[in-house]
Amino acid sequence: MSDQTTQKGTVLKGRNTLQAHKKKEAVAAWLFSAPALTLLLVFLIVPFILAFYFSLTNQRLIPNPNLPTRIIGLTNYIRLLSDSTFHRAILNNFYFAGVVVPVQTSFALGLAMLVNKKLKFKNLFRTIYFSPVVTAMVVVAIVWGFLFNPTDRGFINRLLQSITFGNVQPLEWLHDPKLALPAIMILSIWQGVGFQMIIYLAGLQDIPNELYESARVDGANSWQQFFNVTIPQLRNTTIFVAISTTILAFKLFTQVWVLTQGGPMESTMTTMVLLYRQGFRQLRVGYASAIAVIFFLIVLAVSLIQKLIMKEERAVS
Amino acid sequence: MRKLICFFLMLLLILPVFAGGKKEKAVEGPTVIKVWFHSGKGEEREVLDAQVKEFNSMQNEVRVDPVRLPEGSYNEQVSAATLSGDLPDLLDFDGPNLYNYAWAGHLIPLDPYISEELKNDLLPSILQQGTYGGKIYALGTFDSGLAIWGNREYLEKAGVRIPNGIDDPWDFKEFKEALEKLQALPETEYVIDFKLNYGQGEWYTYGFSPIIQSFGGDLIDRSDYQSAGGVLNGPEAVKAMEWFQSLFEEGYSIIRPPGDDDFYGKKIAALSWVGHWMWQPHRNGLGDNLVLIPMPKLGDRAVTGMGSWCWGITSQSKNPEAAWKFLSYLMQPSQILFMTNANGAVPSRKSALAKSELYGEGGPLQIFADQLRGGVAVPRPITPAYPTITQAFAEAVQNIITGGNVKEELDKAVQKIDQDIKDNEGYPIPE
Repeated sequence: MSDQTTQKGTVLKGRNTLQAHKKKEAVAAWLFSAPALTLLLVFLIVPFILAFYFSLTNQRLIPNPNLPTRIIGLTNYIRLLSDSTFHRAILNNFYFAGVVVPVQTSFALGLAMLVNKKLKFKNLFRTIYFSPVVTAMVVVAIVWGFLFNPTDRGFINRLLQSITFGNVQPLEWLHDPKLALPAIMILSIWQGVGFQMIIYLAGLQDIPNELYESARVDGANSWQQFFNVTIPQLRNTTIFVAISTTILAFKLFTQVWVLTQGGPMESTMTTMVLLYRQGFRQLRVGYASAIAVIFFLIVLAVSLIQKLIMKEERAVS
Repeated sequence: MRKLICFFLMLLLILPVFAGGKKEKAVEGPTVIKVWFHSGKGEEREVLDAQVKEFNSMQNEVRVDPVRLPEGSYNEQVSAATLSGDLPDLLDFDGPNLYNYAWAGHLIPLDPYISEELKNDLLPSILQQGTYGGKIYALGTFDSGLAIWGNREYLEKAGVRIPNGIDDPWDFKEFKEALEKLQALPETEYVIDFKLNYGQGEWYTYGFSPIIQSFGGDLIDRSDYQSAGGVLNGPEAVKAMEWFQSLFEEGYSIIRPPGDDDFYGKKIAALSWVGHWMWQPHRNGLGDNLVLIPMPKLGDRAVTGMGSWCWGITSQSKNPEAAWKFLSYLMQPSQILFMTNANGAVPSRKSALAKSELYGEGGPLQIFADQLRGGVAVPRPITPAYPTITQAFAEAVQNIITGGNVKEELDKAVQKIDQDIKDNEGYPIPE
């Protein structure tokens, strides 16, 4: 009888310690995530809530005490819907992302495969391809601005002329409404590709060699190995690269601001440039906040759709 | 124990977020004033640095604590500082941006500080653009000038009359004939360089609104600044912009000049429509062949632009007297000349102007000064709606020169401007 009681007591005590342990773990978890959470709260969540609130008001950048900020409901949103510059900005964003994401991702994979080979100086090549990433975008933009010189003295125009034996007339690049956005795409891809390359490189090195060996035993050639081993094995890497590139593409601002400020004829206008112009140049913080909120929803939707289409394989323990 | 260490480490990580906001101790001694200015061209910055240094060492009541901000985003930074309440005592503004700050009560009127003597000595343009709602809010140490630069050799060869001064400018017919004659010269590829390589921006408003004004239109109805309707899209403005558009369509000018130097370097353009700041390159490129031609009378009168950087004292300043002391030092004729001899701009005081080699009587740039003194210059619209006006107008100009329908583009600009004024309840002038 007494034996039974003691046993029961031990079980109970065991359950208690387990619960206490779990509780302790939870406290530690919260403590450890506290710094990150605080920063997220202060720099992301609070600003977003503020932006949402401002978007319902006519908040000015230079506040006037005689004309206090008023809540104006959905006026900013209604006006955005009929703002042709905003439409153009959104379209440009999709155009930019639509070109840059696939091209940059494929280039990155190609480069990663190259520098993953047993080449001489392979670390040198890796460094060279990665170096644009560590260069500030403003610097990259200014340098490319010189390269895109519209006269026949421009580097890129000279290059085009010499490889086509003078059949291409000097292009006006950043001054031509049709070429300005493609020019910015080119420099953005050049600047960003190294980062994705590194991620792909890590992904490539994670693929077990046995898979290639058995593929070779089965008689697969290099192309078949690439399509049936490499690509499927890089699935999760590709998803990560595609989504992060998409979000970066939508945030397009710096290079445009430095080189064209949205011109010529709004051909390089992007949502971020419009937001900055409305908020800081035209002093309409309320309207700019509405742009921010809509932009957030669009990017969120795009990433969710992407995730749905490319279902990530989660490791199940 | 480990838990405790963990906790303190955590605390250390979080602390910096909440830290800051140390209290400053009051120090006896000179009154310190914070001064912000844009870090402009090299010479301008060097002069201002030297002036701050000299001012600080020549007296010990006021000490200037200067902060240079990059010019590219200067306006944005000042606006953001206004919202967060961090404005300094004294700061400089790019021309018409001033009115927003004055309207919203962030600047104090300078009238009580300005002596009658100083007021009478200032260029009328400086007073005009510094005044909002009947009070003076800003003073500039220099002003700007816009006119037509010409290549004397080409003008003489084509038989075009070179005006002597602002009393005998070209009229519309003469200007038109001059364009035709110069176009026929074998040396020119086109006649007039409008500096479109500067890109769509403030230049469009500064450089091309005088065309509309010369034809008899304007950017906004200046009687009450409530609407641009019938003014910016009225028959005069439409006629002006249609004429401007035709200059590009008929090849007298080109929309995308390949560089900056078609007039003074390659010499394939006979005229250049640009401001005083091109004096040095023009002089170096053309030498004695350079002539300065006053703005033409396209309609009833000749009109040019004005305005540059100017100084204002903020209402947040606890020591406006000290700030004024520094500003009045900068406004001394000798200091004005120190600055304008370096940056080449038009001195803002008549007494300094008289002593200037460039702008004084018989100086090569006297026409700029005459235009500012003689009522040819018109300030950009004196209203807090200016940021919207300039953006809307520049957009319209860009679309017009690339072939847009003039009336439609101007209508669009009017709509944007009127909407902005309505959104701000007409920008009521404070009492």
